[in-house]
Amino acid sequence: MAPILEVKNLTHTYDASTPFRFDAVNDVSFSVEEGEIVGIIGHTGSGKSTLVQHLNGLLKPTSGNILFNGKDIWENPKAIKNIRANIGLVFQYPEYQLFEETVYKDIAFGPQNMGLLGEDLKTRVTETCQLLDIDFDYLEKSPFDLSGGEKRRVAIAGVMAMRPEVIIFDEPIAGLDPMGRKNVIKMIENYRNSFNATVLIISHNMEDMAQIADRLIVMNKGKLAKFDTTENVFSDAKFLSDIGLGVPAVTKIIDLLKSKGFNIEENILTIDDAVEALVKLKNGGNTYA
Amino acid sequence: MNNIIDVKNVTFEYTGGERIKTVIRDFDISFARGSFTVILGHNGSGKSTLAKLLNGLYKPAVGDVFVDGINTKDEKNEIEIKRRVGMVFQNPDNQLLASIVEDDVAFGPENLGIEPEKIRERVDNALKTVDMYDYRKKSPHHLSGGQKQRIAIAGIIAMEPECIVLDEPTAMLDPKGRKEIIDTIERLNREKGITIILITHFMEEAQNADRVIVMDNGKIVADDIPANIFKNAEMLKSVGLDVPQTTDLLIRLNNSGLAVDTNAISIEEAAEKIATALHSEGI
Repeated sequence: MAPILEVKNLTHTYDASTPFRFDAVNDVSFSVEEGEIVGIIGHTGSGKSTLVQHLNGLLKPTSGNILFNGKDIWENPKAIKNIRANIGLVFQYPEYQLFEETVYKDIAFGPQNMGLLGEDLKTRVTETCQLLDIDFDYLEKSPFDLSGGEKRRVAIAGVMAMRPEVIIFDEPIAGLDPMGRKNVIKMIENYRNSFNATVLIISHNMEDMAQIADRLIVMNKGKLAKFDTTENVFSDAKFLSDIGLGVPAVTKIIDLLKSKGFNIEENILTIDDAVEALVKLKNGGNTYA
Repeated sequence: MNNIIDVKNVTFEYTGGERIKTVIRDFDISFARGSFTVILGHNGSGKSTLAKLLNGLYKPAVGDVFVDGINTKDEKNEIEIKRRVGMVFQNPDNQLLASIVEDDVAFGPENLGIEPEKIRERVDNALKTVDMYDYRKKSPHHLSGGQKQRIAIAGIIAMEPECIVLDEPTAMLDPKGRKEIIDTIERLNREKGITIILITHFMEEAQNADRVIVMDNGKIVADDIPANIFKNAEMLKSVGLDVPQTTDLLIRLNNSGLAVDTNAISIEEAAEKIATALHSEGI
């Protein structure tokens, strides 16, 4: 089966005809399988946001192609609107784009534009709220009465209500408190699990990436520096730190223990992994002694 | 006077039409000169409103805020207050105005009416302090997020404030940028004696603070040294926060049968405590 999303030799040049000419994305190729969660990490200015804005046709490649289910998304430029319904993009700070009088209207806005009406629309909104754990009491509230974290969730629900096959998030947890971060991560996992949707997430939070991503794309100065399983990417701490990134705090702790001579073989990415490995070590190699 | 800022019995409300939303309630707090305080709290707990009350951007509806003994309600002292307490915000792009880095840094002292020769000296010193002197002739728009944020901090330092309030200065930065900013802030406090009030959602950024304040619903729910704050995972979770990943690991290990001292926040300390625990198990 063809990958759901394929990026082939994508280059995007800003200010091409000026002295400020700058390749924000430079010859990037990768493909994403249906149902995966792919994290995109990279220093500020590495081209992450420019890259993802191509994936639903908001930006046009200077050169290269984007294939969705094997077909070039620009094959028929007039049909780009259909692409945008199938590939959802959640911008940074999406709560700044809430504008309706009620939470209900805000969540309904996207599916309504796709032609959903009456009972169907109502069902879609309530189903989305159920799935994402958004209290029905919220639906009649003004989105502006909600806290920052709640607004963020409503804004994301508005995109999920369109049921895109692929959903892309640009820093969905930036600026949220720890509980807000957990809630958004849970929403994303729920959406993927319910619809076997494909998810791409840009984030600077290595701990959350370790938790949620199946594979990671590492961007550096406009180029794709690495695309591998999350485990493999985080096993090279030096490479990541050289390009301005890092590994999760638990991974650093375990690396320090390894350098102190403790015999831990596993690559540790999450607290669960670390607890398991350390308890096993304590019990002389058995996880349950 | 030992305190740079005294907040006395302050209540602050936002009014929109007939609705009133109280965001700061009966708030009393003082910040000692030269101290480094971190303020934690969930989104909507009142942290940013408090920050804006501290340098007179907002005036309290009830109660008073004194900066170096000057009441922030006193309009004619506005410059004196801004000179003493500088603010750095989340998004560096919204704080930079000029097309050349050094012009941007000069903006603050120019507004204070400092003599031109003195401004030159202050701008150079400020840029050296944040380690951005080599970029003084560049355009800020081509810098990384961490570099832009350091320029914003330089602009504040050039006003020679006694206190800097930073409202989530690392929220939009990559790991390297975050580290650059936290290192810079800690250095300003340690070497220049500048009072730091840092608002953040990253628990680990509190590890080297003198004091951590936890806010919920416009009130202070905890005020203690970092080690004591992060001992209390239950309290933090009840207000939508959490312990740093390091402390979380130690607590979980303890619950899984490895007796480890959970009193550690930094990565090095945590590794040390785990090593000690494993050694005492004979490993």
